[in-house]
Amino acid sequence: MIDLQEESIGEVRVLGVKGRVDSGTAPALGERLNGLIANDAGHLVLDFQGLEYISSAGFRILLLAARRADEARTRLVLCGLSDKVSQLFDLGGFLDLFVITSSRGDAMSSCVR
Amino acid sequence: MRKPTNVVYGVDEAPPSGVVLFSGLQHVGLASIFLVYPVLVAQAAGASAEVAGAVVSMTLIALAIGAILQSIPLGPVGSGYLCPPIASVVYLVPSLMAAKYGGLAAVFGMTLAAGVLELGLARILWRLRALFPTEIAGLVVLLVGIATGIVGLRTASGLSQSAGGVDAIDISIALLTLAIMVALNVWGRGWLRLFCVLIGMGAGYACAWALGRVGASAHVSSDALLALPSLGHLAWRFDAALAIPFAIAAIAASLKVIGNVTTLQKANDADWVRADMGTVGRGVTADGLGSIAAGILGGHGLNTSTAAVGLATATGVQSRRVAWAVAGVLLVLAFVPKLGLIFYNMPLPVAGAALVFSSTFIVINGLEIMTSRLLDARRTLVIGLALVFGLAVEIYPVLLEPLPPAVRMALGTSLVLGTVVGLGLNLLFRIGLRRTASIDVQPEAVDAAALEQFMESHGASWGARRDVIERAKFNLQQSIETLVSSGAISGPLHVQVSFDEFLLDMRVSYDGPPLRLPERRPTNEEIMASEEGERNLAGFMLRRLADRVSVAARGDRSTILFHFDH
Repeated sequence: MIDLQEESIGEVRVLGVKGRVDSGTAPALGERLNGLIANDAGHLVLDFQGLEYISSAGFRILLLAARRADEARTRLVLCGLSDKVSQLFDLGGFLDLFVITSSRGDAMSSCVR
Repeated sequence: MRKPTNVVYGVDEAPPSGVVLFSGLQHVGLASIFLVYPVLVAQAAGASAEVAGAVVSMTLIALAIGAILQSIPLGPVGSGYLCPPIASVVYLVPSLMAAKYGGLAAVFGMTLAAGVLELGLARILWRLRALFPTEIAGLVVLLVGIATGIVGLRTASGLSQSAGGVDAIDISIALLTLAIMVALNVWGRGWLRLFCVLIGMGAGYACAWALGRVGASAHVSSDALLALPSLGHLAWRFDAALAIPFAIAAIAASLKVIGNVTTLQKANDADWVRADMGTVGRGVTADGLGSIAAGILGGHGLNTSTAAVGLATATGVQSRRVAWAVAGVLLVLAFVPKLGLIFYNMPLPVAGAALVFSSTFIVINGLEIMTSRLLDARRTLVIGLALVFGLAVEIYPVLLEPLPPAVRMALGTSLVLGTVVGLGLNLLFRIGLRRTASIDVQPEAVDAAALEQFMESHGASWGARRDVIERAKFNLQQSIETLVSSGAISGPLHVQVSFDEFLLDMRVSYDGPPLRLPERRPTNEEIMASEEGERNLAGFMLRRLADRVSVAARGDRSTILFHFDH
């Protein structure tokens, strides 16, 4: 199960991701991210508060999204990782690949800076 | 690691030079009490006074090497704590046997062999940790404390010297020495508390001198200020008949290191939860190398000093820099026989009082380590019976009368018998401890919530640690997800999880090819390029999250085995 909540705060689009990102739900997340990046969102925040599990399939989708964001000059920021999810990012060697902040507020500040 | 409030100088801290030097002197003062062992062994071998002096000098050099090896964490060697060795009582009985039947050559050869055995034990200690749980380490510390106290009381009262009664003058000197140490430790401040043992020993020494209880050295006849230890006594012989007593000594020495290093971990970390076996293993390696050095140089077998651990705990000076001062003072004593005389001639009541003082802290440390675990019926019986048997043999040595003399000699102390009973019962009570649960997963209907619930509920009922269950949960879900999404498996997957106090094993079996668990992380490009790259990322993460993994294939059936240390 995955729950995706989208909202716009100024120029920043925020996508709240709750539940699980696995091989069953990763395609839905990928599709939504493609749409947001293609629409030239300018800044995109992925709020992972409420994310319970992310597997290799989820990390692959994030890597692909980061590449597309780079090409589209969209700033992608991740926030709200729990200790458990943060450990998985560390385990897979992803902590240094993304801009990660602790809260949504910090992520917004990082986008408008 | 958070420094406890009663530690004045932590293991990584650098105390002022004066504190380092005087703490070193204090440790050497305590260690000097045990220099009587090499003298006794040399006497048992019928060695001359010169040879006895050389054995003592070589023991001092080996002690210096051991103190440094233990304090500097260098690769696989050294616990990193201030834990200087002593000429150990653990090796005394086997060394006396060797001296009697094979001379000093057998003592040195077998001490060397015991050191090598200790090195071997250090390498497999982690795998054997189920045999040495925290409560057993605490039990060993407690028994060492009790044995030290008993030896201290016998020495202080003069009972160790003769079969007669208590010597009134000896016991008075001992009580005065002990009273000064206790008073300075309880009511003293600053330097008085730090050096309570040294001050107490100094006062006791002066008192003994005044009462004519300090005799001339019996084993050093050189008048030279500086003298190189004689090497004429060096020879080595290995004797299979002595293998068992020395093997028991090596095991007891390893257990004592476990207890000592565990005590130091606990004493230096206010947030201590359980023994770090990596540090303990490095401590055992350093201890084994110390005994090897003693064997090669022609000295007495060494072992980390529980009395020194008690001293460091009592004074709050835990800095590893003190080990350099200890080594320096020991080397000076080894090459300056006249200075060494001060220690060689230490009046027994003074030495005994210092032992009794140290033993109190060791006993309490042992109790604290044991009771840091929830003591269920099994652990209560292990500890209780080991203590009863251990103490009984000190009070009623006749209990071991029916046993053969060699076994009686080996088991005849509270430390050895209590440890053997504790280890044996711990092993026996492990029967029926392992618990197992299993679940079948249909590839076409994987229920992630059911998998989570499976691990959560069993983890809770087994009392497994939360972090271990979280890691196992991820590996269970990720491995099944990867296998199912590959489309290469058929039929249900069988998951079996088993748990005991030290290990959680998870086995995932299925019909299909074995899963790849690469040691190298695939590049970002590889991960993005294909689902194969994604599966390699999954395999890499699975390998990293478990403590050990293995993959096996038999016919069409494959099994992934994840081990999680607990």
